[in-house]
Amino acid sequence: MANYSTSQFKNALKLMLDGNPCSIVNNEIVKPGKGQVFNRVKFKDLITGKTLIKTFKSGDFLEGADVMELDLQYLYNDGSAWNFMDLDSFEQYAIDSTAMSDTKGYLVEQDMCTVTLWNDNPISVIPLNHVILEVLDTDPGLKGDTVGTGGKPATMNTGVVVQVPLFVSIGDKVKVDTRTNEYAGRV
Amino acid sequence: MIRNALIKRQRVIQKIRQFFEQQKVLEVQTLTLLNTPTSDVYIDSISSTVNIDIGMQSTQYLHTSPELEMKKLLAQGSGDIYQVCQVFRDNEYGERNSNEFTLLEYYRLGFDIHQLMDDMVSLLQVLGIKDKVQWFSYAQVFSQYADIDILNTDLDTLKIFAEKLGLSADFSWIEELQMLLFVHLVEPKLKELPLCFIYDYPKSQSALAKVEGQVVHRFELYLDGIEVANGYDELQTKSEYEQVFMHETAKRKQLGKFIPPVDVSFLSKLDNPLPQCAGVAIGINRLLTQIS
Repeated sequence: MANYSTSQFKNALKLMLDGNPCSIVNNEIVKPGKGQVFNRVKFKDLITGKTLIKTFKSGDFLEGADVMELDLQYLYNDGSAWNFMDLDSFEQYAIDSTAMSDTKGYLVEQDMCTVTLWNDNPISVIPLNHVILEVLDTDPGLKGDTVGTGGKPATMNTGVVVQVPLFVSIGDKVKVDTRTNEYAGRV
Repeated sequence: MIRNALIKRQRVIQKIRQFFEQQKVLEVQTLTLLNTPTSDVYIDSISSTVNIDIGMQSTQYLHTSPELEMKKLLAQGSGDIYQVCQVFRDNEYGERNSNEFTLLEYYRLGFDIHQLMDDMVSLLQVLGIKDKVQWFSYAQVFSQYADIDILNTDLDTLKIFAEKLGLSADFSWIEELQMLLFVHLVEPKLKELPLCFIYDYPKSQSALAKVEGQVVHRFELYLDGIEVANGYDELQTKSEYEQVFMHETAKRKQLGKFIPPVDVSFLSKLDNPLPQCAGVAIGINRLLTQIS
């Protein structure tokens, strides 16, 4: 992998830091009045998701991270792995639960996902911003109720629990925002 | 919008002029185009070749600060002086840096840095910055925010410290590592302080300020964590300046940077030493962002 100098640092550049692939979130050039130029860089660790800040002197090099993002279609879960396919090459990827983290509750068969590969291994899966899930279990619905009265928890067919309005019943299909885990409407 | 910004800038500069007029500090204007570039290790001059067509070709340098030209006036008996001017620096670019910016530079005779900091507080109040003032020595901020005894820690120990934090440790000079650790560990914490002076820097960061024991009488002003001003108890004699210039030239050589000729026109004016004085440079563009 190529090395990148501080002068090439820019947002979203993927670099290796402490053995993990990281993405630059913010690159601030700091020039003390009487000193040399430093880059104060905010990174997101692509494996742990944690944010970290490091300071480099101008001219420092970091190793690039072999990170690639692919749009893949989710196929099915075979009990141990989640299986995805590249619709252009028909290549399949089996992803285990470590890379799935919190996203498995939003995976709907046939939906597209953004999968991040590092050295050809999947490290994270990002679902669509909105997915349609089916309510598997919730308290009985109340007629005449509208959105905004607090709501109730509902367990979806994927296992994720979402706060829904009181009128939603078992078997309903609802739209869920995967970024906030919020109810976004009944389908 | 642009008109409001221009009006604000004009008002601030008017208030600065009134402030100095009341204190009988004289406004001066010195040369912008100089025969000698700055020797400051980390500041680069912008050059231009002039008089080619008339057969008197020479290289001139835009001033990076009016410091030496103003000190020539001080050495000749100008008394207290100030200047508001554009300055030019190469290789400065970023969110808070650019190749051209406005400096307010002023010198008060008989002042030490503490008197000058107090004077600056009065100026800032006139300009509408009335936040609680906090003072820290350089050693205090390092102790408080980084748990490092910065004045008594040598280069090798600081390197180990930096490596533990996953930072660059490949430095030849201790001041560079001190600055890196300051930028990384201390400066982000200063964002919580609206108005803060840091004074008594380690002598490795002496610049053109007077050294006393382990420290140099130099200060910086931070507003909401942004470095806005840099002031000194000024060196006075020719030999002190000669030593600093030689030291800076040697460091530039080691870094493979351009080696500027010695500013003989400045040194020749110092046969009479500067009067005891303190001086400060204030970045007006950064200051304006802090004034509502």
